[in-house]
Amino acid sequence: MSFRKIDIDAYDEDVLLESELCEPDPRDPAQVLSDAKQKQAAVRSTLAKGDIPGALGIALDNTPYGPNVEEAKNLTLQTVVSILNSTKSSEINNVVKALSQDAQDTLMKYLYKGMGMPGWGDVSGSVLLGWHEKLTEIAGTGCIVRVMTDRRTV
Amino acid sequence: MSNTLRPYLSAVKSTLTAALTLENFSSQVVERHNKPEVEVRGSKEVLLNPLTISRNENERVLIEPSVNSIRMSIKIKQADEIERILCHKFTRFLMQRAESFVVLRRKPVLGYDISFLITNVHSETMLKHKVVDFIIQFMEEVDREISEMKLSLNARARTVAESYLTAFNS
Amino acid sequence: MSAPEVYSIAKTPVTCHAFNADRSQVAVSLNDNNVQIYSKQGKEWILSETLSEHDKLITSIDWAPNSNRIVTASQDRNAYVWSLSPDPLTGKLVWKPTLVLLRINRAATFVRWSPNEDKFAVASGARAIAICSFDAENNWWVARQLKKPIRSTVLSVDWHPNNVLLAAGSADMKARVFSAYIKDVDKRPSPTIWGEKLPFNTICGEYSSPAGGWVHAVGFSPSGDVLAFASHDSSISIVYPGGPMVYNIRISSLPYVTLTWTSEDALVAAGHDCQPVVFSGSEQGWALIGTLDDTTASSAKAPGARTGTVGRLNSTAFNTFRNADTRGHTGGDNASDTELLTVHQNTITSVRPYAYSGEGVMDRVSTTGVDGKLVIWDVNAVSALTGKMGGLRV
Repeated sequence: MSFRKIDIDAYDEDVLLESELCEPDPRDPAQVLSDAKQKQAAVRSTLAKGDIPGALGIALDNTPYGPNVEEAKNLTLQTVVSILNSTKSSEINNVVKALSQDAQDTLMKYLYKGMGMPGWGDVSGSVLLGWHEKLTEIAGTGCIVRVMTDRRTV
Repeated sequence: MSNTLRPYLSAVKSTLTAALTLENFSSQVVERHNKPEVEVRGSKEVLLNPLTISRNENERVLIEPSVNSIRMSIKIKQADEIERILCHKFTRFLMQRAESFVVLRRKPVLGYDISFLITNVHSETMLKHKVVDFIIQFMEEVDREISEMKLSLNARARTVAESYLTAFNS
Repeated sequence: MSAPEVYSIAKTPVTCHAFNADRSQVAVSLNDNNVQIYSKQGKEWILSETLSEHDKLITSIDWAPNSNRIVTASQDRNAYVWSLSPDPLTGKLVWKPTLVLLRINRAATFVRWSPNEDKFAVASGARAIAICSFDAENNWWVARQLKKPIRSTVLSVDWHPNNVLLAAGSADMKARVFSAYIKDVDKRPSPTIWGEKLPFNTICGEYSSPAGGWVHAVGFSPSGDVLAFASHDSSISIVYPGGPMVYNIRISSLPYVTLTWTSEDALVAAGHDCQPVVFSGSEQGWALIGTLDDTTASSAKAPGARTGTVGRLNSTAFNTFRNADTRGHTGGDNASDTELLTVHQNTITSVRPYAYSGEGVMDRVSTTGVDGKLVIWDVNAVSALTGKMGGLRV
């Protein structure tokens, strides 16, 4: 028995595992995916009517988070970014002010996720940065701290 | 193009200010040890979500926070082969002198050109808002330095080529 | 409504501080392994004694006002109880240390005397809290440990006024209320809103903030019926166990690391924002009221030519060239210099009650910070929070 090769830390019961830190989404993964698709459709119709705050509100409500729901997360990200792209820079201020605190935190999470995905930088770099600046002005650095500490990653 | 520079730097500045909320934290794993948790990565609960701020595909900043330290990695814009070589030499120059730099890391994180490691010791001895100002200034100047080096390199190459080839003219 | 009294005690960070009963002396740890005791002489604090016994950084100090004993906890896994006794050789009163056997195998992070000063609680990185009481038979302090269900370093503790319940905030994102009832030391406590008949190590409640985040500070209200905790997600949570209701107030600035209740419906919190802030409310709801640091009054520190006299030496043109010369700034604007307009220039590490004006009504609190300053604030001098401190301009 090669005692020297055993990873003793793996047997430590007291260590907090990554899975214990975040509660998974209480909904079932298939349900989450269908929710995300429904939201995408609802957002598209609201956007067609020109109601940006409403569309953003729908998209940021009940977002998928945690493990097992990768596809739904990507879908919601695309939905959110499409709304951000179609907003004029002069309106960004009003739209952000109309959001609830929860929605502002979730929006900040999506901004960082958008900037972090490889291949997205070119497409929406300046749009995301513009929204980030306005959102930080209104919600403050506390919003950014919450994105860092919240284990419910989108 | 350049109109994204200001929001890019202000985004980095606000994220860095939010991340620099450091405090002294003794190691939970080894007694009497006090190590930067972002490097050790032993206890998952004291690490925070890493954030990326990108201006475009070629310029990115990755900030990995934790309870007593943050690691910030920058990917500098390198448009062509010459800029790639200059950037590599420049960052290597700085990283070999990392001890006098204090906050610099000797090796960049994979995928980036240069990395900083700021711990609670640094935030105790230095003013946090000044450290943030310093890093933003560094980011502004690195691009300028590399362009200047490239210009002087090209000018020098041109002069050398001219003086060499005039010998064949007559 | 008085201006804060600012004392620059040291050039190094002040990790923690504790005043004695009549506020004539303060024990501080200046980020090293010695306790420095400063005495108030006139308007200054003069170093009067240094207590050296610990090997590593002292993380927390508490001074018991009635029995005049100091307890210190350090990263070297030890705690000492210091008491004043006459030195056999000189006859003067000196501080004599007594080692406390905590039986923890990691650093101690926080220590507090209980309200009756017969026990103290030490929080540690060993995922446990050691409750120490004095064993008169053997003339030493013995410790019993609260372990389950703590999963990570305990960052702070606070005692309930009934001397039995203890609140603890830890790095596993939870604030918990434990019963620290020790059979021979405590009388059976009367039932409280947190429960009744509570043997040692019972959990009376476990709370966390929705966005998670390490719980940096916990505090019971003066009556003990309400619990407040500050967590790293820039929020303060107030728990009413009777309701049960938890009010979570999200702040737009950096997280708080320390808090103290000033009365049954108000508390002062401070942290990475470098200014103490007041929250107030009741069972119906809580809100941020304002800051104790009036940043608009400090216009004397503002840069630029806003001074009274107009002359060659005060013009902006002169300042531009002076900047270019001394700091290498060729741009005319000072936009790249952020300046903190608050009294504390770095994180505030600890806020403690200082003075009471009436029956249980606190009117002054003291704060110490990483910038080496000790400041005493008037709790009623609340002013509105200005948007940003120093500005986030680039």
